Amino acid sequence: MGQYLDFQQLKAGDPLPSVTKEPITKVQLVRYAGASGDFNPLHTDDATARQAGLKGVIAQGLLVMGFVGQAITTWAPKRFLKRFKVRLMGMTFPGDVITVHATVVEKHSGPEGLRVVCDTTAKDQEGSTKLSGQFEVLVPE
Amino acid sequence: MADKSKVGMTFPPTLFRVERVKIKELVEAIGDPNPIYVDAEAAAREGHPDTPCPPTFFTLAFQEFTGHYFRVLEELGMPLERVLQGEEEYEYLRDVYPGEKLTLTTTVESITEKKTRSGLMDLVDVRTTLADESGEAVLRAGSLIIERKDDA
Repeated sequence: MGQYLDFQQLKAGDPLPSVTKEPITKVQLVRYAGASGDFNPLHTDDATARQAGLKGVIAQGLLVMGFVGQAITTWAPKRFLKRFKVRLMGMTFPGDVITVHATVVEKHSGPEGLRVVCDTTAKDQEGSTKLSGQFEVLVPE
Repeated sequence: MADKSKVGMTFPPTLFRVERVKIKELVEAIGDPNPIYVDAEAAAREGHPDTPCPPTFFTLAFQEFTGHYFRVLEELGMPLERVLQGEEEYEYLRDVYPGEKLTLTTTVESITEKKTRSGLMDLVDVRTTLADESGEAVLRAGSLIIERKDDA
């Protein structure tokens, strides 16, 4: 598990290495729609999205949460993840390049191991925040 | 508008089976190359008996492909085209693997009306528990669903 972060060495305030995704594509939105079974046309049909006053289709907010989930499991093994919460804040469009950031906010040791709480945000190429949230990993003793 | 008489109500449970192909579809849509979700040997190297579900798999499970979420919105009287997702939260009690049969149970925790710069909204807080076949909870989820209202 050498590729994961050593949470014992991290302290509150430390940033985790950010993870940048490939630009979002329309095909990706269709794939996510198929995976989820949510066929809201705002995510797949430009004409519908324009009628709703948007410049075109918007990404599913929970796809962006999926990006953050991907980033977390590059920092810590999946089985360490105990809590994950997000607030969706802005619309994301095809072509946007999302970068996931995180910072350690709290660490405490208990009988089960080391609990580490991190704040996280997902931002686009202009630095506009699409999502903010928090997660907690439990590193066993 | 969201039906406030439904606060405290628990919806009829939905049963679903964790399917390997749905996990694969999700990680491909996200573009997550982590092999543990599709390769049992890679998963075993991290101590898993099989390929685990990715962190946001349950988004799909209870909200969408099972139809559970749509039934909840319909019961609450919330039209889909006015609904936005505001927040989403998961507490992972244990990892879940393909082939497991899980039961989703959703309760309406609160419905709050809020005036915002973009108009009047109902904030609906629903809590969902996923339990395994022995009835043990494996995941607890919270969703804040926002309905934009006409009379804004």
